[in-house]
Amino acid sequence: MFKKIWAIFIRDLRINTREFITIWLLAMPIIFALAINALAPSINDSTVRLALVDGENPVQEEYLENFARVSLFENEEAVRERVEKRDDYIGILRDGDEYYILTQGNENQAIVDFAKTLQVLYTLGYDIEDSTAEIIELGRNTPPFKKMLVNISILFGSILGGMLIAINIVEEKGDNTISAINVTTVSRMGFVLGKSMMGLLLPLYGSITVLLITGFGYVNIGQMLLVVLSATMLSLLIGFVEGLANDDMMTAVASFKMIFFPVGGAVAVAEAVSDKWQWTVWWIPYYWTYKGTGEVLSETATWPRMLLYTGIIIALCAVVFIVMIPRVRSGLEKS
Amino acid sequence: MIKVKNLYHSYSKDDKYAVKDASFEVEKGEIFGFLGPSGAGKSTTQGVLTGLLQLQKGEVTVAGYDAKKFSKKMFNDIGMSFEQSNVYNKMTAKENLAFYAKLFDVETKDPQELLELVGLGDKANLKAGDFSKGMKHRLTFARSMINNPKLWFLDEPTTGLDPAIAATIKDIIWNEKKNGVTTFLTTHNMFIADELCDRVAFIVDGEIKLIDSPRNLKLQYGAKFVDIEYIKDNDSARESLSTVEAKDRNRIKELLDTYEIQTMHTKEATLEEIFIKVTGRGLV
Repeated sequence: MFKKIWAIFIRDLRINTREFITIWLLAMPIIFALAINALAPSINDSTVRLALVDGENPVQEEYLENFARVSLFENEEAVRERVEKRDDYIGILRDGDEYYILTQGNENQAIVDFAKTLQVLYTLGYDIEDSTAEIIELGRNTPPFKKMLVNISILFGSILGGMLIAINIVEEKGDNTISAINVTTVSRMGFVLGKSMMGLLLPLYGSITVLLITGFGYVNIGQMLLVVLSATMLSLLIGFVEGLANDDMMTAVASFKMIFFPVGGAVAVAEAVSDKWQWTVWWIPYYWTYKGTGEVLSETATWPRMLLYTGIIIALCAVVFIVMIPRVRSGLEKS
Repeated sequence: MIKVKNLYHSYSKDDKYAVKDASFEVEKGEIFGFLGPSGAGKSTTQGVLTGLLQLQKGEVTVAGYDAKKFSKKMFNDIGMSFEQSNVYNKMTAKENLAFYAKLFDVETKDPQELLELVGLGDKANLKAGDFSKGMKHRLTFARSMINNPKLWFLDEPTTGLDPAIAATIKDIIWNEKKNGVTTFLTTHNMFIADELCDRVAFIVDGEIKLIDSPRNLKLQYGAKFVDIEYIKDNDSARESLSTVEAKDRNRIKELLDTYEIQTMHTKEATLEEIFIKVTGRGLV
């Protein structure tokens, strides 16, 4: 049986690599990962941006660069022009022996205060080494925004797996080839497994690609794949149903996009809503995937917790499976 | 090879039967024609025989397998050529056959040899999507032979083919018969059935009306017709009349006495004419 499942998988792989839309799906994780690297700030990036006159005080310039993003301008007029632009730039300018802070007036007060404090510390000659405070790290060594983007990309990858299934099933329907498969020794389960392999491998490939390119290669890959695979099962099931229900590729993909509503809702609630309202999205399997993946990315995941999340995902998928499997069975019979 | 006894099948699972009380047997090495108009129950019967439709009522044995517990292994011995071509358009002809070859547990034929056999040898590396309708049909036909079937289901195997290619397909079917292959041929084309089949079954409204060899049918119903072409009102007219039925004999006399006869031939009844006579229905 494995030989036949493999033959179906290899056929799909061969055809998929000849199609623009599937090559695009394969390229997406790489594009996402590169975009995340380009867009997400590093953990050392500062949001405080200072404008100084070039060459006026190189020592001060070097000192401030330790704490903020410093831009140098030709003269005071150029600094003024930069500060007057829409974003938050704070100018630090010399007036005789003293310095003054130049702002537009509508900047975030915390940023202005931070610039003031930096200038005071510089004037007083204090450095980081002068601090007596002991630093205790809580283990957060990744920027939360980047982690969120990586998490969403991985979740998206599991959905793309289902979309690929839908595309492949629509191709089978268009060519009427399911009826031909029905008169071979391949069982229905063998056919479903063979067709599922591309949809399973795409999220695995996508997750690992995103993790490696975005610098999360150190996380527990086993825990990550466990959670991703369990969520992918649901995507595959929806992929089969949409593939069998639609006769052309674009309609299938368009129908499949509906899945982004619960996924988007789950991510939004997980990120932006207080703990007491999280239960509202417990019914969405992707919520648990997002939560589990988030913990893996933060390196706070434990195997018992990941197994718990996987169990919840599988239980929720089982409900969807029971509801949808008659449609899959009937679709395969009629095709 | 096939045994069907009192087969009933209803899609609505009530007494609206698509197939009613069908019984027949197909011997090993026989070419058995299943003939009838659209909606007569041909595909339903074939669906039950191939396990694509569940057996509801009756007894069916195919290639030694009881339809109540069909196994997928059965398809190692069965080939099926569909009326509607169903090949992967994005794969080449050769890739299509090579892929299907992997879906059986028995020794399979060489894809290139099969393509040569159906006249597609030089098109082996072209995508099926670029094929004409007839070429796709030949590819579907070739695919049905990939697993060296002992029992062969052919649904309209020569539809859409030019006469030369259709003749090639008929030769292939004959050759397979010589090799002991049993063929269950479903068709509207009575000429093909006449040429190829050892026996034919006429099915109408889900009921088998008659089963016999084309030869016996012709002996029984044919050779008693005369085709008369005559001039009537300055126009050519034609009638086909029985030489044994009193009403027709009188009409022949009337035509000979009344009109200018252009041609007159005794003829064998075609299978189609016999079908119409027996079932009271046309084949469309």
